[in-house]
Amino acid sequence: MRDERSYRVALVADRYVNPKPGQVDGLAVLAAAGWGVMQLPDASYPAEVARPLLAEVAEQVEEFSRRGYGFVLVGERDGLAEALAHVGVGVPDGIAPASAAELREFLAAQPAPPATAAPG
Amino acid sequence: MGVAFVAHCLLNQNSKVLDGAHCAGVYSPIIDVLRERGWRIEQMPCPELAFAGLGRFWAVREQYDTAAFRRHCQRLATAVAGAIEARVQQGEEIVLVGVEGSPSMGVTITSSDPQRGGRPAWPDGSPELTGGEGIYVEELHAELGRRGITVRVAGETHAIPGHDEAVQRARLESVLEHRDA
Repeated sequence: MRDERSYRVALVADRYVNPKPGQVDGLAVLAAAGWGVMQLPDASYPAEVARPLLAEVAEQVEEFSRRGYGFVLVGERDGLAEALAHVGVGVPDGIAPASAAELREFLAAQPAPPATAAPG
Repeated sequence: MGVAFVAHCLLNQNSKVLDGAHCAGVYSPIIDVLRERGWRIEQMPCPELAFAGLGRFWAVREQYDTAAFRRHCQRLATAVAGAIEARVQQGEEIVLVGVEGSPSMGVTITSSDPQRGGRPAWPDGSPELTGGEGIYVEELHAELGRRGITVRVAGETHAIPGHDEAVQRARLESVLEHRDA
């Protein structure tokens, strides 16, 4: 079986996964570009709901990071930096794109993730 | 329409066990149906990723059915149930979309082999598939039950022999439209 993973993961604010009419459809752009998506909790959630979800996101980011997967942040989420800091991971390069084209350009400019580098 | 709480890997195939990623990132055959029909998407954590890592072996339910993994799943389930409860309180319909055949994310089909263990050498195939829920889904249902919440379920079937994308889509649509009741 051939594994098709891209080794590229985007942390994505909810509004780019569930855009309202007229907003940027980040999920469509990321899917077309072959990036995996880790969705951040919706901004409407109260802190007691969002905090444990962010903690789980951070734990998963830690594992991806340790294995050399590439990361970006699309949009923003209060509490993300603290959750990532708790597992010793910094906030990745990010963008809050105003258009799909801007997001496509940003993704295309990302370096190859370390996990895809040839061994040795 | 409502909110679909989806298995992590449906948005991020990078979380799959090695050799298990069907595509680069987003598994569109499920996600596209949800979006076409106006369902909001919310991603659940992958129970296996943070616990057993990206280098984990393929495993069956019995191998994950440990007290430590159960506690891990209970923690995840409590976090996700909080989000589901908030949506229910907003009057939203909820659907849970899992991964059939998964030891943790199966919703009607999981994997079982009580003898599996030790040095990993086993033939590819399907004898391990069996009816039932994966461990995380079981713990999530238990947590939702404590909160008096019931949800409908659907599953991605890529790992099931005879997988047919049209059948998978029809089943998902049936659950979304509540024709499965």
